[in-house]
Amino acid sequence: MTKPILIVGGGPAGLSAAQALSAAGQRAILVEKEQQLGGAPILSGYAKLVPTGEWAKDAIGGMVSRVEGSDTVDVRTNLTVTNFEGGPGNFIAKLSDDTTVDASAAILCTGFTHFDSVNKPEWGFGTFPDVVTTTQVEQMMSSGQGVRCPSDGRKPKRVAILLCVGSRDRQIGREWCSKICCTVSSNIAMEIREEIPDCHVYIYYMDIRTFGLYEDLYYWRSQEEFKVKYIKARIAEVTSNGDRLIVKGEDTLVKRPITIPFDMVVHAIGMDPNIDNIMIASTFGVQLQKHGHIQHADTYGGIARTSREGVFVAGAATGPETIDDSIAQAQGAALAALSVSGGLSVAAE
Amino acid sequence: MPIHEQNLIRPENIITNEELEIDGIDVSGHWSTFIESRVVTDYNEDIEDEVAALPGGEYINRCWQCGSCTNSCTVNAVNPDFNPRFWIYLVRMGMESELLRDKDIIWQCVSCNKCTYSCPRDVNPEGVMKALSHWLELKGHTPKSPSMHFDEEFADQVFSTGKIEEGRVIRGFFQRTGQPLIQDWLVELVKRLIRHMPVKLLMTMGLANFVRPRTRDWGRAQAAIEEYVLERDAANRKALGLDAAGDH
Repeated sequence: MTKPILIVGGGPAGLSAAQALSAAGQRAILVEKEQQLGGAPILSGYAKLVPTGEWAKDAIGGMVSRVEGSDTVDVRTNLTVTNFEGGPGNFIAKLSDDTTVDASAAILCTGFTHFDSVNKPEWGFGTFPDVVTTTQVEQMMSSGQGVRCPSDGRKPKRVAILLCVGSRDRQIGREWCSKICCTVSSNIAMEIREEIPDCHVYIYYMDIRTFGLYEDLYYWRSQEEFKVKYIKARIAEVTSNGDRLIVKGEDTLVKRPITIPFDMVVHAIGMDPNIDNIMIASTFGVQLQKHGHIQHADTYGGIARTSREGVFVAGAATGPETIDDSIAQAQGAALAALSVSGGLSVAAE
Repeated sequence: MPIHEQNLIRPENIITNEELEIDGIDVSGHWSTFIESRVVTDYNEDIEDEVAALPGGEYINRCWQCGSCTNSCTVNAVNPDFNPRFWIYLVRMGMESELLRDKDIIWQCVSCNKCTYSCPRDVNPEGVMKALSHWLELKGHTPKSPSMHFDEEFADQVFSTGKIEEGRVIRGFFQRTGQPLIQDWLVELVKRLIRHMPVKLLMTMGLANFVRPRTRDWGRAQAAIEEYVLERDAANRKALGLDAAGDH
């Protein structure tokens, strides 16, 4: 019997790694700092996922129950790893409840932290109740409440979605594209138009990056079927006239300033490195790249490697990532971990 | 007072008042020149729907402002102010006053359809231009062009008789455009016709002016055409929020 593989983090990537190891008959220990598994899609209450359109509680919830029902996965919630010693095949992890576990390898699936919009005060979040984040809109939709202005519960007649909030912004030290927000925003825009047909939705963008197959499924479809309007403008500030929100900026296509009234403004918030990454990096002895994400080592020669041998990484821990790619990466990381644990030969027998 | 970079400001936005007092302060004359704001203070969401409701405008909401239409445009090559991409944007955002600035050139589209074939999103910009011209006219922003008067006179005669008679078309066209019937070139034309045309043909033509021959069994075709034209016209006017009474 080989030693178990330690999986850190119970979001889509961690669940996917656990499922993959379980399928290979390899024991795993899944450590999650929160009380429940599921990661951001469950803990933050996402609504319908891109690109399947399935509800997060069904899609990711299904992964959670499969992992929880697995005989080979030992799920430990409410715990963190406080110390990690040894080498490939012989790691010893100390957990925050002072227990220790043996592990042959580790997979870091520690994910990301949502950007906190109060760090862009000029866009009104925290000042005006009807300025919300994409995460809050997801929650409005997944709770069944519907998209409503928080100030008085009315249905908005006009919604602005501001892209690149907490992304692509040197002023706040975030020089990366968060990759998913364009697609998520066009998805949300369509959901709003579907729920409230007389509500007009405007998306303010610098570039639209609904990459790959999301182009026609999200960007085009939102324009063609749902008449969502895209305006090339980075908003200067969000204020209020006491009645409605006022969005100010420059419409770059007509080279004119705009001050447009809106009922609701949505920040398409980006993906920050996990706020605990410095602790995680020091505990596991792995390096971070310059933005604070866990650094990938050896892109072409190995699978899912970090700077420390026997410690692998998958999902948004390495940088902004989609749910489906996180799941795929974790399957790769599981394969890499199996090769260290000797689990590959076990699975072959 | 000199205004720096004055070329960036539209002349009509530079305002000087002969006599003006604001809060007890005299701001008369060119020492107190005002520049009117260019700020867009609201979107008008109706205009896109209205243009989209007219034939040709159906796919305007697909536009992502790449400029392929303007780049390929025959008229733009002659007049750089002719910019379909820009007008599509103004319609979509409902910037009506900006749009109306160009009302006298929008109809100049020659329908060469180069834009139609270069548009990556299949917006059908040529159709949009047609719909937009129609919108301007229905809304009363532009008068009917002479060619539109001619088309209407021509069509009306076909609708009523199944035929056209040149003399009547010319008379009707002159009447619609407020021109006198006696014009030198026309008098000369008639004189020469009388001199050179076979008598029988002349008599037929002259007679046609009074008896108005109709295509045989035209009645049912006429009713069908009239029903369709009225229906289309009513639908267009309704989409634009206008009362039902149309021209046809």
